[in-house]
Amino acid sequence: MLDGMRAVSPGLIALAIWGVVTGVAMVKAGLSEQQAVVMSLLVYAGSAQLTALPLMAAGAPLWLIFAAGIIVNLRFLIFGAALHPFFRDLSWRKRLFLGYLSVDISFIVFMSRYADAPKKGTFEQHWFFVGTILPAWVIWQATSMIGIALGAIVPVSWSLEFGAVLALMAMMIPYVTSRPVFASVVASGVTAWLTQLWPLRLGLLAAVVIGIAAGMWVEMRSRPKVQN
Amino acid sequence: MQSPEYLYSAIVLLALCTAICRAGYFMFGHYISLSEGLRSALRYAPLAALTGIVVPELLPWHPVDGPQVDLRLLAATIAVGVFLWTRNGFLLIVSGMVALWVSRWIFGL
Repeated sequence: MLDGMRAVSPGLIALAIWGVVTGVAMVKAGLSEQQAVVMSLLVYAGSAQLTALPLMAAGAPLWLIFAAGIIVNLRFLIFGAALHPFFRDLSWRKRLFLGYLSVDISFIVFMSRYADAPKKGTFEQHWFFVGTILPAWVIWQATSMIGIALGAIVPVSWSLEFGAVLALMAMMIPYVTSRPVFASVVASGVTAWLTQLWPLRLGLLAAVVIGIAAGMWVEMRSRPKVQN
Repeated sequence: MQSPEYLYSAIVLLALCTAICRAGYFMFGHYISLSEGLRSALRYAPLAALTGIVVPELLPWHPVDGPQVDLRLLAATIAVGVFLWTRNGFLLIVSGMVALWVSRWIFGL
């Protein structure tokens, strides 16, 4: 478990900044401090929280908020598929607990250490994973609470909610590494710009569909060249 | 602002999103298999959704006056430049905020 804590510690600084930004953003989006605390404890997913806040402030329909939450969390489904062989023999309660509390850095740290392990699902691996998720949870919740307190003090004219938009950008840009991904981002960006006056913020859905289509189209067009 | 019932409903639904996506495969992975096409589509979805949120914040479109350009776009562009130069996410956030404050002060807004 201590090994896991040691391995995850460099990522905790980024997590702390992110936590403060998310805490501030919740209050600046119009949540009461109590609502913001409940959101942080229950949802525990920075990107989903930052994505949902503008939708909640605009009064978007609940199903669209749910759909947006699922879409930005989809990466965890992929992570879960990779982690599954390590945890399949645990009881369902433990799997629910470990899955619910897993975050990006715990996945990255765990897989970079055990991806090629000959034996999957050992005692040592389970405790290493616990060692990565517990400090992440504590740091995230503590810094979110600091952000919530700050959000109530700092005046609106400082536009700290803009920090949330910047934080989302800081999260996105490192993933724009290939032409299909770049095409996908450009297509969804143009769609989002043109459709933002659609009712109920449904333009978001159009942006996702067009973005996926553009990414897959460019990917398919470039594939035969590689095979030849 | 929206009613507390609406906000708490949204919060509970988002908690459900967390549980489904993070623990879903852990709980039911024995029964699921994702096809290659679906996996490929899923790779593009999160970035497309984040883009769909960020773009209207940077380039809002007024119902009457049409497309708007304000200092946020300038600040965001500077922040992206700083990130590409330093590869540091923290500096992106800080430089973007500072750029917004300084440019507002210069233009007297």
